[in-house]
Amino acid sequence: MNKWQQRLGNWLTNHLHLPSDTILNLPRITTIGQFHAYIENHRGLLIFKDEEIQLKTMQGVVVITGSDFVIKTLLPEEILIEGTISTIHFIDSKNNEQ
Amino acid sequence: MNHIQATWLQGYVQLKIEGYRPELFFDLCARNQVHVWKIKKINETTCTGHMFIKDLKQMKKLRKQTRYKVYFVKKKGLPFLFKQTTSNRPFILGLIASFFFVLLLSNMVWSIDVQGVRPEIEKQIRTTLNENGVYKGKLKFTIRSVTDMQQLLLDEIPELLWVGVKEKGTTYALEGVEKTQVSETEESSPRHIVAKKNGVITDMYVSKGRPIVSVNDYVKKGDILVAGTLKEEQEEESEDKKSKNIYVAAQAEIYANTWYESTVSTPTEADYHVLTGDNKNKYYVTIGNVSFPVWGFFQKDYEDQQIEMEKRPLHFFQWTLPIHIIKMNIHERDHIKEKRTKEEAKQIGIEQAKKNLQLQLGRDSKIIKEKILHETAGNDKVKLRLYFTVKENIAKTQDLSQGD
Repeated sequence: MNKWQQRLGNWLTNHLHLPSDTILNLPRITTIGQFHAYIENHRGLLIFKDEEIQLKTMQGVVVITGSDFVIKTLLPEEILIEGTISTIHFIDSKNNEQ
Repeated sequence: MNHIQATWLQGYVQLKIEGYRPELFFDLCARNQVHVWKIKKINETTCTGHMFIKDLKQMKKLRKQTRYKVYFVKKKGLPFLFKQTTSNRPFILGLIASFFFVLLLSNMVWSIDVQGVRPEIEKQIRTTLNENGVYKGKLKFTIRSVTDMQQLLLDEIPELLWVGVKEKGTTYALEGVEKTQVSETEESSPRHIVAKKNGVITDMYVSKGRPIVSVNDYVKKGDILVAGTLKEEQEEESEDKKSKNIYVAAQAEIYANTWYESTVSTPTEADYHVLTGDNKNKYYVTIGNVSFPVWGFFQKDYEDQQIEMEKRPLHFFQWTLPIHIIKMNIHERDHIKEKRTKEEAKQIGIEQAKKNLQLQLGRDSKIIKEKILHETAGNDKVKLRLYFTVKENIAKTQDLSQGD
C-alpha cells in the first residue's frame, strides 16, 4: 500500500511537476549559509544537544551536526535551527544506511 | 515562523526543564499546539525555552503526564509589566499626581504679553489686570472672559483707544492702541467759523478772528460767525490790496439756542423684567455631554431668574480636553407689570425723548426746555410731538478759499 502510494507520488512529481516534498511527505531542508537550517515536514524531535540534532521523518532520521545549536522555533512540522552546521546525514529506517 | 509575533505584547516566559532528555518535553509541547522558541540545551538534563503566557495552561496539563520538572526563569512582556505597575501603589499614585500636576500647569496663566503701547500704559494695563485677578499663576478657568477683559481695560484706562486680548494657550497676548492727542495742527491755515445750524446766539467766546454776528442774532446754517480776515473786504478790491489783508485761523465757541422736534409714543401698559441684584453662582464640570454639579448646588431657586453661562475648556499640554468648567451666574428677576396713567406715560415719553436727543447731541449741549406740541392717546399708547430748545455750540470751521 505504502509502496504503491510512493510510486504514484513519484509519477505525479515527474509528470505534473508538483513539488516533491508535499507529495512524497519528504522533509524539505533549507539552509542559509552555515548558520540556519529550516526543516519542514519533520515528524518529531529525537535528540537535541549543543552539537547534534536528530529529527524523525517519514523515511527515517535526519541528523544534523555542528555546534552551538539553538532551536529558534519549534512547530509540529517545522523547525528552525541556528548554530554552526557542519553535516547533514540521512539515515534510512529500513537498512540503517546513509 | 509567523506564529511567533508580538511576543512582548502577549507576554512570555522562559522555562527551565529538568529531566531525562528534556528537549522531548518541548517536542511534546509543539505537538500539542504550544508554540515554543529559543530552545537551548544547558546540559544533559536541563533545557531552556520560551513560550507564551496563554499556553501555560496547556503546558501544565502536558507536564502532568510526564516526569519533567518545570521552573520559571524569566517573565517578560506587557501583561507582567502591567501587573507589576498596578500592584506598585506609589508608582500609580505618582502617575495620577503627575497627570493632575500637568493638568494644573496647562491651565495656568504663564505670561501676559503686552504690545503696541508705551511702557507707562503697559504698566497700567498690567496693574489693572492684576487687580482684577489676571496674573501669572492664576488658573485660567477662574479668569473672566476675553471680551470682558477688553471692556474692563477700555473702561479703566482712558488712554487706550482699542485693546485686543488673545488667548494663546497659557499666555495672554494683549495688543493695545493708544489714543493720540491730536494737537490742532490746522491752526496755521486761515479759516472762518460758520454756523452749523440755525439758531439764536446766546454766548460768544472768540479767541481769534473778527466776530461778525453778536449775541441775540439769528443765524442760518452756513452763515459766517467769525471771519478769518481781520480787515473788511472791499468790493472791487485789487489784487495787491487783497494781499495786504491779514488772514488768521479763527477760533471761537459760539453757543446758540437751537430747536428740535421729535415724536415719541409710550405705551400705557408696561411689561418688563428687572434684575433685583440678588445673584448666586453654580459650578458644573461637564465631560462630553454629561455634567456634574460641583459647587453651589444646594441653594434655593429663585422664582424668576436669568442665567448667564460661561463655559471654559480644560487643557492638557496643547490639547483641549472635552472637559469644561461651567460657571452659571443666576440673577433673580422681577417681572413688573404696571398700568400707567396718561400723565405718567407722557412724563416717561418726554424723559425718553430727552435722553435720545442728549445722546444724539453729545455732552456739550444742554436741553433748556421742552414743549408738547401735540398729543394723542389711544390704542394703549400716548403719542407725543415734542419741541426742544437746546443750547449748543454751533461753531464749525471752514477753510478760506485763497488764490482763486
